[in-house]
Amino acid sequence: MDLIIQPLLRSLETGSVYALAALGIIIVMRTSLVMHFAQGSMGMFAGSAVAFTFNRYGVPLLTSILVGAAVAIFLGFFVDFAIIRRLKRATAVGKEIITLGLIMVFLGLAPIVFGTDPMNLPRIIPRGDVALGSASISYNGILNIAIGVFIALGLFLILQKTKVGLAVRATASNESTAKLMGIPTRNVTLMAWAVAGLLGMLAAVMIAPTTMVTPTYMTAVQVSALFACVLGGFQTFYGPVIAAYIIATCSNFLKLYASSAWGDQLMYLLILLFLLFRPNGLFGKTYMKKV
Amino acid sequence: MSKNSRITMLNLGSIMKNSHVHYIIFGLVLCLFPMMTSAGGMKNSTLSTLAFVLIFSIVALGLNLLLGYSGLISLGTAGFMGLGSYIAAYVQDDLGLGFWVAVLLAIAIPTLIGLLVGIISLRVSGIYLAIATLCIAEILAKTFEQAEWFTHGTAGKQSKYPTIFGMPMDRSSMFVVCAIVLVLVMMLTYNIVNGQLGRALHAMRSSEVAAQAMGVNVLKYKLFAFSVATLYAGLAGGLYLFFLRSSYPSTWNLFLSLNLIAMVVVGGLRSILGTVAGAFVIFAFPELVLKKLPVIGDASGLPYVFSGVMIILVIMFFPQGLKGLADLGVTTIKTVFSRKKVTS
Repeated sequence: MDLIIQPLLRSLETGSVYALAALGIIIVMRTSLVMHFAQGSMGMFAGSAVAFTFNRYGVPLLTSILVGAAVAIFLGFFVDFAIIRRLKRATAVGKEIITLGLIMVFLGLAPIVFGTDPMNLPRIIPRGDVALGSASISYNGILNIAIGVFIALGLFLILQKTKVGLAVRATASNESTAKLMGIPTRNVTLMAWAVAGLLGMLAAVMIAPTTMVTPTYMTAVQVSALFACVLGGFQTFYGPVIAAYIIATCSNFLKLYASSAWGDQLMYLLILLFLLFRPNGLFGKTYMKKV
Repeated sequence: MSKNSRITMLNLGSIMKNSHVHYIIFGLVLCLFPMMTSAGGMKNSTLSTLAFVLIFSIVALGLNLLLGYSGLISLGTAGFMGLGSYIAAYVQDDLGLGFWVAVLLAIAIPTLIGLLVGIISLRVSGIYLAIATLCIAEILAKTFEQAEWFTHGTAGKQSKYPTIFGMPMDRSSMFVVCAIVLVLVMMLTYNIVNGQLGRALHAMRSSEVAAQAMGVNVLKYKLFAFSVATLYAGLAGGLYLFFLRSSYPSTWNLFLSLNLIAMVVVGGLRSILGTVAGAFVIFAFPELVLKKLPVIGDASGLPYVFSGVMIILVIMFFPQGLKGLADLGVTTIKTVFSRKKVTS
């Protein structure tokens, strides 16, 4: 039994990380119409800021996370305000290349600002395990799963039930019409970038204890989150989140039962093949292009 | 082709207007650099940097065809390049089949893989190619680390200079080989862009739907552009190996792919000489200039920041890139001169 429950629990934990990163990508994608390739590296930068304040200044972890959140929100605001907003005339590809450029900027800035040494970031709850039959999960793991699930559910509630959510959905559906209806679409995209930054920072803090904080430590998360968006389809907000958990589960089971070194790579191939049969993802809809 | 039809007049002026002649002259100028090095006028390390500029220019030209004409992004270019380099090393050193077979396979195998990826991902909307190539790059990067028999893992694959037409190569002659290949690739790209294929690509660029209505098979031409991009990447990977005589998995990461995109964007979309200039700015400028600056020169992330900021600035303020800058310069000079004529 523990050969099924144990990896399942671990999948829920990593799935939460992927889900948060994917949510950030999809919110930006739907409101600014940009494929946000820099989600991982912006999360990395904010996560490095957390590790830096924690290690260098001995600030308590939760306070460091607040500092990281401030950095993430500022970066989100800055990127939208200074760059993305001024790109109304650029093509979709141009915007995507801008986010690729952002990857390089943050990747290069991180060692300059925070130093070249890899940093450690401990768990939020340092120790303690819960036994579930023959399997076990740490308190921190439960916290990570809870953060992932509650933030995803909370965002869906906000999107579906509140006025702000309605504004976001209207902007996502058609920006110029939304603007004509009096929705401040500029503020909506500004907020979307800040929320994406926050989600990226959370994902970065949650994955950090399993590895070291280096400039490239979020690459795997970024790739998985992008794949979650592809697998879940870009049309809905919930699709990528569900797909993130599916991807984490597949990856863990493939690593356990197929090959520990090649698990992720096998999964990437499977997703590529899946796209052959359902090009718009699990929850995607096909729209006819109007000429 | 209206420019080319004037060549029939066979005077020197019209020959000088032929782009192929420009490329050959450019290649001849490049061949002066190894001579300068042996005469002591240039450091060996500078020559190596320039050789890498030539090699990256080849890849960037293919990427420019893909990005400039079909608006597609490939994030796996470095992976395909790395595959080319390892195949070249494996075929030349482990199988002992010589230079030509090595180059041929270094071109053929990445192109085949690229075709497969393209067929799968191009049927869906454009952005899937970026994600699919990203995934292929991740798979290839893992292969480079794990497949010890093929790549020697993280220890790196060592190779030696090839023998071409019975001549053993060294650093200077490999530089000349790189220059010759670059000129050939520039000519080939020029012919592709200005031929029937190019007209279809141009039509596709202005409006995919309109091109489709005119009978252009959009999928076929996108696939073509992507195959050319992977073909150039494989070729350049082989050249990289033969010049450097070693290949490490850490070279072929996402950031090389991003740097190659930066070269295309900074050089100017759909410009052949611009791409080479872009490769120089993105690769050689940080190596030759930024590293020598006081205080900030030592920072390890500086070249990345430079490339990233260049991409963002060019797209925001100067979408034509260096090509646009050159055109602007030429028109300004022309207007200044014509104004002088009027006044005199």
